[in-house]
Amino acid sequence: MSTTRREFIKTVGAAIASSQILPEPTALCTPPAAPLLAPGPAPFPAGAKRKVIYDQDNSGPFGTDILGTLMMLQADNVDLLGITLVTGDAWMKQEMAYTLRLLELMGRTDIPVYAGAEFPMLNTKEEWQLRRQLYGGHRLDPWMGAFNRANGGPAETKPLQPPYDRFANMTPQQEHAARFIIKAVRENPGQVTIYAGGPLTNLALAIAMAPDIVPLVPEVVIMGTGFHVFTSAFNIFFDPESARKVLRAAWPKCTIVTVDIAEEIHEGDEIAPGRRMIEEIASRAQSPISDLFQLHAVEPLRRNPNMHFFRMADEMIAAQIIDSGVFTKSEPMYVDICTTPGPRYGDSMFWPTNWQDVPDAGKSVSAADRRVFVDPRQFYLGPPPSAGLVNVLQEIDHDRFKKLFVDLMTKPIRRA
Amino acid sequence: MQIPSDLLAHSAMFSPAPQTSSAPDSKKKLIYDQDHRGPLSTDTVATLMLLQADNIDLLGICTVSCDMWAKQETAYALRLLEIMGRPEIPVFIGAQEPLLNTKAEAQMRYQMFGSRSLGNEGYLGCFAKDAPGRDEVTPLPPPYNRFAQIKAQPEPAADFIIRTIRANPNEVTMYCGGPMTNLAIAVMLAPDIVPITKEVIFMGGGIHHSTSSVNVYFDAEAAKVGFRAPWPKFTLVTTDLAEQVHMQDDGKVDDIVERAHSPIADLFRQYEQKPQRANPQRHSFRMPDEMMAAHAIDPSIFTGYDDMYIDIVTHNDGHYGDTSFWDANWKDEGGELSWQNSPSIKAGRVQVLNGIDKKRFRELFTDLMTRPINRSKS
Repeated sequence: MSTTRREFIKTVGAAIASSQILPEPTALCTPPAAPLLAPGPAPFPAGAKRKVIYDQDNSGPFGTDILGTLMMLQADNVDLLGITLVTGDAWMKQEMAYTLRLLELMGRTDIPVYAGAEFPMLNTKEEWQLRRQLYGGHRLDPWMGAFNRANGGPAETKPLQPPYDRFANMTPQQEHAARFIIKAVRENPGQVTIYAGGPLTNLALAIAMAPDIVPLVPEVVIMGTGFHVFTSAFNIFFDPESARKVLRAAWPKCTIVTVDIAEEIHEGDEIAPGRRMIEEIASRAQSPISDLFQLHAVEPLRRNPNMHFFRMADEMIAAQIIDSGVFTKSEPMYVDICTTPGPRYGDSMFWPTNWQDVPDAGKSVSAADRRVFVDPRQFYLGPPPSAGLVNVLQEIDHDRFKKLFVDLMTKPIRRA
Repeated sequence: MQIPSDLLAHSAMFSPAPQTSSAPDSKKKLIYDQDHRGPLSTDTVATLMLLQADNIDLLGICTVSCDMWAKQETAYALRLLEIMGRPEIPVFIGAQEPLLNTKAEAQMRYQMFGSRSLGNEGYLGCFAKDAPGRDEVTPLPPPYNRFAQIKAQPEPAADFIIRTIRANPNEVTMYCGGPMTNLAIAVMLAPDIVPITKEVIFMGGGIHHSTSSVNVYFDAEAAKVGFRAPWPKFTLVTTDLAEQVHMQDDGKVDDIVERAHSPIADLFRQYEQKPQRANPQRHSFRMPDEMMAAHAIDPSIFTGYDDMYIDIVTHNDGHYGDTSFWDANWKDEGGELSWQNSPSIKAGRVQVLNGIDKKRFRELFTDLMTRPINRSKS
C-alpha cells in the first residue's frame, strides 16, 4: 500500500532545510512594486540570451518532459538559471533523480536544481479516484501521473532506467523552488521567462508569497487547457487551484500551449516521407540523446508498430521560448479554471476578448444573416472580472517546428 | 517530617485560577497570526489579552488580509505594540490576498446566493463594496494617533512560521485568528512543520449558528489545506460557542473602563462604552478571538471538546467555505446510526470546544484587561 499524504507528512523530517530571509519590497509604507508592463513581445534584444527558469514535472526516462528539457539544454539562446521540480507526471523525488542524472549525462552539472511542491494545493489521490468512479475520466486515457496505481509513494525513488543507469553524484540545492523563483525574478526584473511545464503549484506558491514578482516576469509559457480535443489537460486538473491562481495573475504576457495545438504534432511523426523524427535523431544525434531516442522511441516502435506517440506539448513550450516564430497565429483570450469539485474539476473556460466588436455593425444585413449573427451585447455581460488574460497559440508551422526540434537534438551536445 | 523545599514553589492551590507562571521557560511559545482589525475589535482585544498574560511568550505577530487589508492591519498592530510598550515583538506582513478568492467573486456570490444560514453571515471584510484598496493605509484614530516608529520585518509571514516551528520543535502554538492563508502557504512549502507544531487554535465554522464564518469563507482553499493537515492537536472555536458570550454582557465594559490602565481603558471607553451608551440597542460582537486567547492562556476555562472530523466546501457557489463535520467517535455497531458511513476520506481531525465556564472567562478577561500594563522589562 502506498504512503498517504497524511503518513508522509508525519514521517518526513526536516529535509527541506532552508528558510532564508527574502527582501520584501512590499513592506509597509514603501511604494508598491513597478507598474504593469504593457502586454507585448518579451523585451529582450535579438541575439541576446533569454534567462529562463525551467519549472517541470520531469518524469523520466523519456517523454515530453525530458524532451523539453533537452531542447532547453541544447538551445544557444537560452540561459537556464535553474530547474525547479514539482510533483505531476511523477513524484517530485523520482523526477529529481532523473533530472540530476540527465544533467550529468549532458555535462551540465552547473545548472542548479531545486525541489518544489510534493503535493498539489488541494487535490488528493483518493478524491481523484472517487471522481473517476463517479464521473469517468477527463480523457479516455487513464493517465494520473504520480497518482497512477503503479507509482509508489512520494518518498520512494525507483532505480533509473538505461541510459541513466545509476543515481547522480550531483545534489539538489537546499532552497525551496518557490523561494528560488522569487529570488531569481527579483534579482533580474523584467528578464526572467518562466517555462511552466508541469502543474503550476510552485508558481502559485511563489506569487502567493510574493505577488510583486508578477509584473517583473516578461513571459510565462504554460501547457494545458483546451477547446476541442479536451477541455483540460493533466497539468491543470492535477492541481486546478494552483492553475487558477497562476492563470488569473496579471503577468505582462502569459502564453498557453493548448491540448488542441499540441495534438497537431506527435513525437512519432515524419520529418520527410518515410523518415520519422525519432529515427533521424537516433541515427544522427550524439550520446546521450541518441541513446535516449534509440532505447525509448525507436526500439519500442520496432517491438510495437502500432505504438501511440504522445503529442509534443512541452516541446512546444520550449519552441515558444527558443524561436517563437514557429507559431504563426495567436489570440488574446480570457481564461479561468473550474475548481468546483465535480465532473468539471480542472476544466478550462475561455471567453473572447473581442466580444464587443460586432462585425457588421452599422451595415445593412439580410434577414437570414440577422438570424445567424446575433449581437452578443444584447445578452452577454462579458467575461467575469476575475478571469485571466492570456495569449493562446493557435497555429504552428509544422515543418519549421520539426526542423527546430531535430536540429536541436542532433547538434553537438552543448556542454557547460 | 521534612517537606522537600522544591515542592513549596508549587503551592498551586493558593495561586489564582489562571495557570500563570513567571518562570520564562514555562511560558507557552505562541505565534500570533491575525487579521488584525483596528482600532478595537475581537482581533485587537485578543492581542491585548495575550500581551497582558504572564504565561505567554509572543514570538511574533503575523498579519493576513480579511477584516482589513494586511497593510492596514499591520499599521494597527505595530502602533498597538508601541502604545502597549512592547516594541520588541516582531511583526510580519502576511498574505495580502486569499489563495484564490477575489473581491469580484465574493460579491457575485453574495448577489446570487445571499448570506449564510441562520447567522446572517454575509460580512465580507476587506472585500466589502466600499472598503478601501489593498495598498491604502489610512491614518490611525486615537489613542493610536499616528503611525508607529517601529517597522514590520522584511521576512514573509509564512517563512517566519516555518523557521520558528523548526527552531522550536513541539513547542510552538499557532494562534490563527484570521483566514489560514499564511499557515496554508507554510504547510505547502514545508510539510515537515506539521507534526512538530504543538497545537493550532483556530476560530471559524459552525454547526447550528451558521455553517461558516468569514475566516473560513474568505479563503476556503487555505482553510481546507489547514484543516486537512495532520496536526498533533487542532482546537476549534466555532461560531456556536463564540455566540455564547458578547462584549456587552455583564457590564464588563464599564468595569474595564473604570479599572483598566491606559491605553486599554482609552480603547474600551472610545470604541465600546461610547457607542453602547449612544445606542443601547447596539449589537456587540461575539467573542471568538477572546475565547481563542483564553484557550491559549488557560484551557481549563472550557468544559470540554467534541472529537470531530472537519472538511471545507470549495465549490464556487453559495456553499463556498461551508464547514462539514463528522463525529470522530462514530462506530458502525449496527444500531440506529448504522446508515452512516465513515468520515470523508481526507477530512482533518479537530477538537471542537463545546462549552465555556462563563464566570471564569469573565474573571480571566477582566483581570487581564485591568492589571498593570505588561511592558517589556528593558
